Amino acid sequence: MERQIINKKKRVFSVEPNKIPPSEVFTRKYTSHLVPALKKLNMNKNSSQVNQLTVKHEVDMALALSAQEFAWSRFLLQKLSSSNNPTTATSSSSNGIRIQERSGKEGGGDEDGEIEEKLRELQKLLPGGEEMNVEEMLSEIGTYIKCLELQTIALKSMVQDTT
Amino acid sequence: MLECLVSLESMSLSSMDVSVLERLKWLQQQQQQVLSTTNASPELLQFHGTNNDELLQNTFSHFQMLGSGFGPNYSMGFGPSHEAMDGCISRTNSCQMDQADTVGVMLNNSEENITIILKNKRKSEVKTREEEKTEKKIKVEAETESNMKVKSNLSNTEASSETSKQKSKAASETQKLDYIHVRARRGQATDRHSLAERARREKISKKMKYLQDLVPGCNKVTGRAGMLDEIINYVQSLQRQVEFLSMKLAVLNPELELAMEDLSVKQFQAYFTNLPVVVASKPSLMVDAPLFPLDQQGSLDLSVINPNQATTIEAPSASWETQSQSLYNTSSLGFQY
Repeated sequence: MERQIINKKKRVFSVEPNKIPPSEVFTRKYTSHLVPALKKLNMNKNSSQVNQLTVKHEVDMALALSAQEFAWSRFLLQKLSSSNNPTTATSSSSNGIRIQERSGKEGGGDEDGEIEEKLRELQKLLPGGEEMNVEEMLSEIGTYIKCLELQTIALKSMVQDTT
Repeated sequence: MLECLVSLESMSLSSMDVSVLERLKWLQQQQQQVLSTTNASPELLQFHGTNNDELLQNTFSHFQMLGSGFGPNYSMGFGPSHEAMDGCISRTNSCQMDQADTVGVMLNNSEENITIILKNKRKSEVKTREEEKTEKKIKVEAETESNMKVKSNLSNTEASSETSKQKSKAASETQKLDYIHVRARRGQATDRHSLAERARREKISKKMKYLQDLVPGCNKVTGRAGMLDEIINYVQSLQRQVEFLSMKLAVLNPELELAMEDLSVKQFQAYFTNLPVVVASKPSLMVDAPLFPLDQQGSLDLSVINPNQATTIEAPSASWETQSQSLYNTSSLGFQY
């Protein structure tokens, strides 16, 4: 009986998506994923061995799960489920250096080539970006940026509350 | 005919609140004026009127289906209205007249291959109008959804301005009967490859514009390369921030458990300011029970909860519900304490 009610309510939740701003939906979903996951982590590893990798993993997982309407979240989920290695951590820092170098070298060179290079860089940043064509990637980047912003807000408030 | 289009596009399509019915009437009026000056038969007039009527009504429904802007709505499908379009397209095609100018407006979707094409037979005064029209259409395009392919080439204005002067006025206009919904400017190659290329470039530049608004500080930089640079840096900085915050969170994690109740509630308070702090009486019960592992859909799996606890959960859930109802007009169990 309760299960029925609960299921009903579950369905009602998503009926009118337009009335709730998507950013709130995302944030709500995100925190509802992350907070219990962290709690579980805490409970399972009773020793203070909650290292950064697993937290990052949970963070990424929460991001992927809260944004399932986008293509990149699918790729992110794949990445997360296949490996537990932090792929994004190292690549992001190295990409930054590379861009600066490249723009210095190319200078007034082949403009189109430069743009192509940058697009490729962007593709690397986006999970699954390399498997998309350029237009798709550009629109996905937009949503990815939005979700990243919301994620940082959520994480910031979480960190603030605990300190 | 073109006048009506000029006026059509000059109306802003920025919000979906544009009264398409007004446009319909306007269009009809314009058509009637233009057609009467060119001595078209009254039957043709009416035919056009009704034809466009239906077409634009379909446009209307199509517009309504469009979300606003990119973002999450972007990936919404636009399926159903297209079948209706097809019928209208064939009707438009059949009503071409040799003498008068005919304007067939077709709606196009890249996936469904329905095009918005403006076909015009040539008259000398019409040629100059074309420039204006396509320019005005640029604004329209920027504001419509990408699936609504009312095409005009912004990037091609520069290219065509040189070549357009070369081309003689007497030459027939480049007909764009392509399904790739690109409008070729005068004097430009109309073979499929270049049209496709142009369509692609337009889409990309539209998306770049959108990204420009999204990424702060992109307005100052001009040119694609600089903008892309900015975007890349921004995404990287966001990712680094997330990394840093998660590191912090990892350090602070042991303390999370204690602060969890306040944390989650405060979190929501940041966004839903009207909601009071509900976690009052029974912290352990309230916190542990709802915070069960969520299933993939992100909804609470309350079936896991012990039936004994169920009754105690109902009450706080109810209070949350009333709060959220007042905010969202939905009784949602998306996340409840």
